[in-house]
Amino acid sequence: MKIHIKHTSLIYFFIMLFVIGVSQHIQAQDITVNGVVTDKKQEPLPGANIRVAGSNTGTITDFDGKFSLSCPAGSNLEISYIGYVTQTVRAASNLKVELDEDAVALGEAVVVGIGYGTMRKSDLTGAIASVNSDDLKKGIVTSAEQLLQGKVAGLSVVQGSGDPASGATVRLRGGTSLSASNSPLVVVDGIPGVDFNTVQPSEIVSIDILKDASSAAIYGSRGANGVIIVTTNRSTSNVERRSIEYNGYVAVGQVANHMDLLSANQWRQYVRGNNIANATDYGGDTDWQKELERTAVSHSHNLFINNVTANSGLSASITYQDNQGVIKRSNMDRLSGSVSGHQYALDKRLKVEIGVSGTVDNWNPIDTRIFERAANLNPTVPVTDRNGEYTSIGGTNTENPVELLNNRTFDDSRHRFLGYGKIEFEIIKGLKAAANGSYEYNSHQRRTYVPTYAVMEGKAEKGRGERHLGDYKNYQLEAYLTYDVTFNDIHKLNVMGGYSYLRNTYEGFGATRRGFDTDLFEYNNLAAGSDYRAGDVYSYKGQADLISFYGRVNYNLMGKYMFTATLRDDGSSRFGKNNKWGLFPSASVAWRVSDEDFMASTSSWLDNLKLRFGYGVTGNQDGIGEYKSLAILAADGASYYDATTGTWKKSYAPNQNTNPDLKWESTAQLNLGIDFGLFSRVNGSLEFYHKKTTDLLWTYPVAQPPYLVGTMLANVGDLTNKGVELTLNGNIMETKDFTWDANFNVSYNDQNIDKLSNEAFQESGLKTGSLHGLRGMSGQYAQIVKEGYPAGAFYGPKCQGIDENGAYIINRDENGNPVDEYLGSAQPKVNIGFGMNFTYKDFDLGFSTYGMFGQKVLNATGMSMYDPTRLPSQNVPDDFLSSGIKTDPLFSDYWVENGSFFRLQSATLGYTIPNTKKFGMQKIRVYLTGENLFVITGYSGVDPEVNINGLDDPGIERFNAYPRPRTFSFGLNVTF
Amino acid sequence: MKTKIFSTIIASSLLFGACTDLDEKLYDKVPMDDYGQTSSEIQTIVGGAYATLRGFSDSDQGGTNCYPTCEYVFFLDECVSDEACIPTRGTDWYDGGRYQQAQSHTWDANNVMILGTWKYSFQGIANVNSIIYQVNKSGLTDHDKEVVNAELRGIRAYYYLLLLDQFGDVPIVTDFEQVGLPEKSSRKEVFQFVESELKQIMDNLPTGIIYARFTQNVANSLLARLYLNAEVYVGTPRWQDCLDACDKISGYVLETDYFESFKTANEKSREIIFSIPYDHKEGTVGNYLHSMTFHYNQKYAFSPTGTYQWCGNGISAQPGLYSSFDENDIRRKSLLIGEQINLATGSVVMMDNGNPLIYTEEIENYTNALQNEGARLYKYEVLADEQWERDHDWVVIRYAEILMMKAEANFRLGFQANAIPYVNEIRSRAGLPAVDTVNEEVLDNEWKHEFVFEGLRRTTNIRFGTFFEPWWEKGATPAYRSVYPIPQTVLDLNPALKQNPNY
Repeated sequence: MKIHIKHTSLIYFFIMLFVIGVSQHIQAQDITVNGVVTDKKQEPLPGANIRVAGSNTGTITDFDGKFSLSCPAGSNLEISYIGYVTQTVRAASNLKVELDEDAVALGEAVVVGIGYGTMRKSDLTGAIASVNSDDLKKGIVTSAEQLLQGKVAGLSVVQGSGDPASGATVRLRGGTSLSASNSPLVVVDGIPGVDFNTVQPSEIVSIDILKDASSAAIYGSRGANGVIIVTTNRSTSNVERRSIEYNGYVAVGQVANHMDLLSANQWRQYVRGNNIANATDYGGDTDWQKELERTAVSHSHNLFINNVTANSGLSASITYQDNQGVIKRSNMDRLSGSVSGHQYALDKRLKVEIGVSGTVDNWNPIDTRIFERAANLNPTVPVTDRNGEYTSIGGTNTENPVELLNNRTFDDSRHRFLGYGKIEFEIIKGLKAAANGSYEYNSHQRRTYVPTYAVMEGKAEKGRGERHLGDYKNYQLEAYLTYDVTFNDIHKLNVMGGYSYLRNTYEGFGATRRGFDTDLFEYNNLAAGSDYRAGDVYSYKGQADLISFYGRVNYNLMGKYMFTATLRDDGSSRFGKNNKWGLFPSASVAWRVSDEDFMASTSSWLDNLKLRFGYGVTGNQDGIGEYKSLAILAADGASYYDATTGTWKKSYAPNQNTNPDLKWESTAQLNLGIDFGLFSRVNGSLEFYHKKTTDLLWTYPVAQPPYLVGTMLANVGDLTNKGVELTLNGNIMETKDFTWDANFNVSYNDQNIDKLSNEAFQESGLKTGSLHGLRGMSGQYAQIVKEGYPAGAFYGPKCQGIDENGAYIINRDENGNPVDEYLGSAQPKVNIGFGMNFTYKDFDLGFSTYGMFGQKVLNATGMSMYDPTRLPSQNVPDDFLSSGIKTDPLFSDYWVENGSFFRLQSATLGYTIPNTKKFGMQKIRVYLTGENLFVITGYSGVDPEVNINGLDDPGIERFNAYPRPRTFSFGLNVTF
Repeated sequence: MKTKIFSTIIASSLLFGACTDLDEKLYDKVPMDDYGQTSSEIQTIVGGAYATLRGFSDSDQGGTNCYPTCEYVFFLDECVSDEACIPTRGTDWYDGGRYQQAQSHTWDANNVMILGTWKYSFQGIANVNSIIYQVNKSGLTDHDKEVVNAELRGIRAYYYLLLLDQFGDVPIVTDFEQVGLPEKSSRKEVFQFVESELKQIMDNLPTGIIYARFTQNVANSLLARLYLNAEVYVGTPRWQDCLDACDKISGYVLETDYFESFKTANEKSREIIFSIPYDHKEGTVGNYLHSMTFHYNQKYAFSPTGTYQWCGNGISAQPGLYSSFDENDIRRKSLLIGEQINLATGSVVMMDNGNPLIYTEEIENYTNALQNEGARLYKYEVLADEQWERDHDWVVIRYAEILMMKAEANFRLGFQANAIPYVNEIRSRAGLPAVDTVNEEVLDNEWKHEFVFEGLRRTTNIRFGTFFEPWWEKGATPAYRSVYPIPQTVLDLNPALKQNPNY
């Protein structure tokens, strides 16, 4: 077979030589064509194909889009480029060709990362969404998750805080788990499980999101929440280029929205107007919120160099970012760099790629208690007294927030390092072996000092210094074989099989000392503190192994009928001894209907119609954690007093019931998808899915006796998510000077906890969303985890309004007890993303928006602030008196508000300076970006986009929201 | 070249393929079955049994505190008795009515304080059973095992004595490896179990006085408590057995200063027979009763800079308790009453509502009390730089109780003359004149005043029958409430358990 192929190609080669030779001989009058190929925006198209029509003569354009070709005078040249409409022009000595984009083909020709390989988008059978770098979020990005906010149907990214050091919560198609992580697995350049933030936004070429189980099952026990596949410019392309690029911006941000509280004058009017005798006027006029805020100035600079030739490539990048927070003292700076290179050998059959990247983050967390104090403190209290000392009026939760902010030092840093090597080798034609090894290191250092003069813990403990260092390391090896073969031109088969090994090791230690005689050392000399307590020194270490075998078969018949099947077998050390290995299968089919003969009549407007159907099982092993199935003694057990020596000693005690059956959570998902392209202008996808998670992990109460510990982790429950997603991309208008395109996505998800109990384990409803710590709310809960409801379910009495006495009218039973009922969920039902981009000559304008709808937010801040007992000693919202509320705070749906919102995330106006080539520059672009320009919402608090992560308090705004900034940035891109 | 690379790939796959060992490697924890081979290892396990006496905070039900010093074991026993209460103050301390239920003797099986009380003992028992299991598997000689196990069984018997008193019929579980849901044993069987365990281990227990260790003196004290209440527990009085057990206790004295046993360094007290040691620097938790009783602004009266710990303005004395003390009774200082002086300014501490902080004995309405109503629990020493977790040890048994048991047992046996000297010894230290007769009322008063806020009052109220009579704002209490109901969540998890009668 092999010889046969070689034989025929040899014959073909000779025939070609002959034909070319003959034709050159006959057509003696050749001309030399010098030309340039660009797109509509005059951007050169490197690598475009030029072919003399009716012949085999041709060439390709160079990096500047230029080409030079000899051909007979009068011949036609066919100029083609992937994603563009092919043009035929008459040969002339100087040619300038502008190609039109082919909207449909551009989408379909895209190569998509599918895990352990790539596939043309047109051949996909599963639900995979792709976002290329142009479509990622613009403006300031401090956490890579933000890049995807509003960009992908079904992927919700919630940024609960304006703190530059905070991350975002990512959920794909609703969460699949109650107790485990709901974050998708991130795969960076083929390395699974990498911290998303090891990648800088400027390095990202494209992001592919494996949404359904038939796509994600190749990642087995880590695939249940979907997979985000990130392709960076580190694994450099094969397009020859040499360039230096600079990207930078300067940004200015201010708090977008405040609580409207009484000013000192309003407070005084109230006191005078109501003849309140025992009110203390401290004589100041302080807007406590403003005292904490500032205009934040941030800047970022990125330099990227690369050099790619036919056989090798090198690229390097360095980024420095300094992000100020809009709350004083909070900021984050980041230095990151990466270097990677590749080299081909053995006639391009062998490719070796190596790379390293590193990131150093330094940030200053703030004491978040300041927000509640700023809301509580009486506006007549001055920040400092006559002696310049911070005022302190005593009382609970009324400490001076400026003191809290300033008299504490928090210095955190995180170091991330990733090193990898990859080898790809073509053993015989079509059969490739790939192996990659990687090492990831991620450490977090925390340094804290609370000086002796700081209120509360500083004074009580006479100063406290703390250090902590924790890290984790991932050692990974992946090795797989792929075989591509085509039979009879119509049967395309791709087979892949591999093995992977992952070892995760984490460890750390820390120390605390109190009782300092001087504050000079801060956290730098803990030994200077004299007060040592149990637990002040600690260390820990743990380890987990994951071993996997996986395979995939992809069969494509005539480009119309496609079939994919995958299988992964995961063994994890975390699993109980009765369930060490888990098997995750999937299968999917696709049918390109539009290519059928019977669809010929629609081909004028229907460019593409493809149906996909897939089913698969994925797992989530995150909820188990290490050592959870074993009978172990915790060495951090309690102390006991040993009377014989008069000293305290450590005891070791068992801390969990053993469960040898512990295993992963299993998610089976059905997906039905339709891809379509219309009028060469619009393409889109419609997806329907049904996900059922079984073996949900939950910590159950168990009878004691006989159990050693009153709770036990077990796989019991079921959870369902089902939904619809629609994605539309449109090329609305395109003329020589003007282009206009738009993208839109909308998704709907419905979640339900079907089952939490079985015969052995029962959970009748766990109360969560603790309101403890709010006045009058001790021991009260706002949420419940219960069968029949989604996660994040608010649960409490309904309120019919405020009666004439200013009391909440609560639904009560015949005994006068409030009737608790379901009040909605913190999870959005509908997510929308919408954006448009325009270009006019050298100007470009784009905006993007996103919105979340149907979720509830408990405005616990409002619930506590509309409290008559706060006056006169504390502050209240300025419309408190008109609210009619005259009784103590009470939890009910009165404060469970509709959290739906729609936000203008960013708008960018750019200008590309023309004709820069004269100065030896390829491109100079300047732009202005505005972020968070407006938000439309009915929510009465400061911002409805609040943290929805976890089960403890998703969707509860409780004096904990770091205000979100509105930011304007000026940026510059220069390419040499 | 080709074969070389190919074989390298295969070889490396095999190399890693060999690593299919998925056993978990432990670094900072130890496997239960391999531990306890050396005597120092044994000690770290046995010490854990004593550590359980401090109780724990359970994560279920959104956090159930099972502390004998505070929430909820102490709270429950105190609030159902006639000496303390946790009034609701505005929205504070309502907490679903759990404290009002205790005060009005209308508690039900869902009251979390009852769950905390149940869990305190059964968590301790489960831990002790696991420790005994490990001791038995260790390399110790059989005799050494018996000696080590004697203390462990003693601690377990202490828990069962609490359960016997609080719940009556409870399951007896002694085997760590037992699986399956246990059924209840009758109160009589539990009584016999406690009695026989304490007797069986007696000879293997340490003798003499070892602070905070389960010695023969402790075992005899618990036997005396058991017999003192035998009539309540099993219907048959055992007064003479109580006396005999008391007579075996030796080496302790009444401290001259009544408050010596309640100082921060109370481990020096020669009166304490058994205690639960605390030291916040050693990470002990649960010992924060002071923060549960004093007013929010009390800190200015304890510390000139106001750095005293946050206080929650909760548990108070019931009205009538303070005035029941003779004004010369030094034990009355166990209650804090009157105006509180700001140490920095010398004037009265002001509350946030603008009124002066003056504690009153009276509580007009326990369902909506004023912030300053109710005398406060002031028995253990208060230091200005107190931490949230305090350092005094929690007194479980002290010698004065032995004297009172002797007095009561003699009186019940009709030996009134024998009883009088014991009562007078107690009264004399309290600064009170001697009595020449002893009757139920005298004894009850002495129990009440001597052991105020020590968690003994409920048992005493039941033994004297006063528990069932109306007091303050509570009506008569039916007899079945002399034990608590089995907590509902416990019943739900173990269908083999039957609820106590009438609940």
